[in-house]
Amino acid sequence: MAQQILATTRRDFLGGAMGGIALGLAPGLIGSAQAADDFKIGLFYAQSGPASLFGPTQLASAQLAVDEVNKAGGIMGRQIKLFPTDAGGPPADTTKSAVRLLLEDKVDLLIGSHDSATREALVATIKSKVPYIYTPVYEGGECSYNTYVIADTPEQQIRPSVTWMMQERKARSFYLIGDDYVWPRKSNEHAKKYIADNGGKIVNEEYVPFGAPNKFEEAVTRIKSAKPDAVLITLVGADNVNFNRTFAGFGLDKEIARLSLLLEENTLKGIGADGSNNLFSCMSYYANAPGEANKKFKDAYFAKFGDKAPQLSIIGTDCYAGVNCAKALVEKAQGTNARALMTAANGLTFNSAAGPWTMYGQHVDKTMYIAGCKGTEFEIIKTIEHVKHGEACKAA
Amino acid sequence: MSPPRLTFAGVVGGYGTAAVVREVSGQVAPGEVLCVLGRNGTGKTTLMKLLMGYLPCWQGSVQLDGTAIEALATPARHALGISYCPQERPVFDDLSVRDNLTLMRPDRDLAPFADYFARFPILARRLEQHAGTLSGGEKKLLSLTRGLAEGQPVILLDEPSEGVQWENILHMAALIEERKAAGTALIVVEQNLAFAERIADHYLVMDQGRTVLVGPRGEIDRARLLVHLQV
Amino acid sequence: MDPLIVTQALNVVYGVTTLALLVLGLAVIFGLLGVLNIAHGEFIMTGAYCAYVTQANGWPFLAALPLALIICGALGFVVERGLIRPLYARPFDTLVATWGLSLLLRKLTEAIFGMGFYNVDVPLPGTVALLGTDYPAYRLVLIAISGAVLIGLFVWFRISRTGTRIKAMVGNRELAEAVGLPVRRLATYTFVIGTCLAGLAGVLIAPLVPVQPFMGLDYVLKTFFVLVVGGLGTVMGVLSGAAVIGGLDSVVSAAIDATYGYLTVLVVAILFLWLKPRGLFARS
Repeated sequence: MAQQILATTRRDFLGGAMGGIALGLAPGLIGSAQAADDFKIGLFYAQSGPASLFGPTQLASAQLAVDEVNKAGGIMGRQIKLFPTDAGGPPADTTKSAVRLLLEDKVDLLIGSHDSATREALVATIKSKVPYIYTPVYEGGECSYNTYVIADTPEQQIRPSVTWMMQERKARSFYLIGDDYVWPRKSNEHAKKYIADNGGKIVNEEYVPFGAPNKFEEAVTRIKSAKPDAVLITLVGADNVNFNRTFAGFGLDKEIARLSLLLEENTLKGIGADGSNNLFSCMSYYANAPGEANKKFKDAYFAKFGDKAPQLSIIGTDCYAGVNCAKALVEKAQGTNARALMTAANGLTFNSAAGPWTMYGQHVDKTMYIAGCKGTEFEIIKTIEHVKHGEACKAA
Repeated sequence: MSPPRLTFAGVVGGYGTAAVVREVSGQVAPGEVLCVLGRNGTGKTTLMKLLMGYLPCWQGSVQLDGTAIEALATPARHALGISYCPQERPVFDDLSVRDNLTLMRPDRDLAPFADYFARFPILARRLEQHAGTLSGGEKKLLSLTRGLAEGQPVILLDEPSEGVQWENILHMAALIEERKAAGTALIVVEQNLAFAERIADHYLVMDQGRTVLVGPRGEIDRARLLVHLQV
Repeated sequence: MDPLIVTQALNVVYGVTTLALLVLGLAVIFGLLGVLNIAHGEFIMTGAYCAYVTQANGWPFLAALPLALIICGALGFVVERGLIRPLYARPFDTLVATWGLSLLLRKLTEAIFGMGFYNVDVPLPGTVALLGTDYPAYRLVLIAISGAVLIGLFVWFRISRTGTRIKAMVGNRELAEAVGLPVRRLATYTFVIGTCLAGLAGVLIAPLVPVQPFMGLDYVLKTFFVLVVGGLGTVMGVLSGAAVIGGLDSVVSAAIDATYGYLTVLVVAILFLWLKPRGLFARS
């Protein structure tokens, strides 16, 4: 864990070091006695860094799925043992942890809920040796062997929401603003295509340094003078909150609509009622989404974690689905042989907080929601069922 | 003869592990001046710092009116009645002359300084000026004024006449005489023999950290002093 | 004038004054006591959470100010007495100690409030027409308050007895002890003033940012840069440092984008550390 002190960005320098120390001291995470036939799953999620806000619900949701699976007999009779591992620091730190999980702890499977830079580094480290399930909303294009993606894809998230903004909210011109890393840049490439397809135009595209203490007065003033119909936001976490509060503070919220591509319950709570007017989001899960499956999931979640349960959000529920995907996948393949898993993944059905999902082409089709913000709650405006993931992975 | 006010016996101390002052003893009674003489670097200032509590006494004792004070910190010694005018950085450079004088006076009253202003009119003229802008000698006047006007029973002066014009040195001597008459006990470190001869009741001559000569002014003539003061 | 330029100019003023407000507490503690308080950001965070708690209880926003002053003041008192006092004149040790303190405060906040974001409603929503443009009312108020706090501190430090005594203690500690100044108590005062200023800044900034345990980290580097550029121990140092760092950040962010703004700030801070390590207006 000491390597986390060498983390690069400002936030990671202090926050990461803290996480590292906390991890180093946490008893029971590392090296505790374990039964030989446990099914070991390494869970990468954000214990430190800018995304650590999501950490509690990521871990809690995964833990809930592990409990359910274990109660129902585990994976092929083996109890799941979870190895929660920090992926909130720089990718190089996370890959070091991955090597330790693979060589020392000899995990059977990895689940990852982290940014795309880390995913790319992990795929290169794991080299398909164990199955790797990637869970959070992403920019598409992940087809690596023995890698399974249950995230929302651009075809599922960006195309429907941009199209909806243009057709039903009459937005013709867009201003793109995002954090400067893989996901916002690639997502914007998709968005620009969808906007062009619908005859709209881009007035400007700008990025702010990821992990820096950004303030947005200047960018908002630029947007004010550019007068777009809508702003497409690929800022995450605190930047997303800061931007939206500044945007509304300058009074632009009445005239200009905003669509944020990573806007879930935690972030909305930060943006607050006075920042969320005319702000939209598109996800495959909201905590208040309708349906029996979500109700059942929430009952179990709150029964387990009580009133102090971490704020529910898609970042967490996708971890829940990830554990269920692991069980279904390994049991269908009758083991962790990569070729058998790749074959089993096609047509694999597993449980998520939004109901059963079916995988093909290493991705999942799902029901998508377009939501508007009403105060600090999401209000689902439009439900689009069976949205195809649109990824063209060639089954190996 | 009245009992001594401040007594130090067998005092040893210094910096790091090097003893600069070695087993020096002395005393001063109310209304008297003990002049500490010696060449540069013989431990006179270090002795002052040991008496004032800036440096710990490794051995020996310091007593004020019979009470041991060698374990007390500087502010506590001040509170018990010892005033101190240091040789180096004798005033608060960032503060005005007025603030230097009234810093510890709740009423900020300048009346107690009338006598001093009469002798050192430059201070009265520069009241609002930063003390850092004064010359070295003027700082000494300010420092002496502040120290004497505190009105405490014991005053330690470390080279008060350094850089001061002879005319003002005479004023200093007169002010010190006034304090003596009021029963104050003073220990004065001096290089200026003429000044020392005007104010001293007793001499304590140091060389290489040790006492080499001690006694009342009347019993020690100039020639004996000069032996220890000339380089 | 072009309303865009007016707005960006106001943004620069806003950036500079709020940065000066955010740095004041650090400047007092570092400049006067020589203690680089790494936990400065966490005192700002504490102030921001006071604003949140005030809102959650339905009290008026202004009630957060006394609350933050009491909590940050009490915290500062305990920290100075228990942690800092034995470590004066040991800069590296105080650095490590306050770093540990920052972790502790952050973890405590996490334990009490959780990791999640909170928001504090803007007490003065809406915009005000000014010089041909609209500018958020609360930001204008913040500019005014920051200026007032800065001037107030400057004047207080100049004319108050405590200010004079602190100056005496800082300028000549040996003499201060010799004239009977209660230097240890003054050091405690000074530290508490610093933490109170941080708490005050936290309350005032809270309506504009996400209130969360990590927020303090956002301020550590930038406020430190202000002192690097401006120099230690003078109000002019704080102002000039905030003007250079906040101003450059705002101007470059407005003219190009935030990445270049951030880059410029880093480069300038490094150049100062390298070529003019005492800054523009260091105390002599």
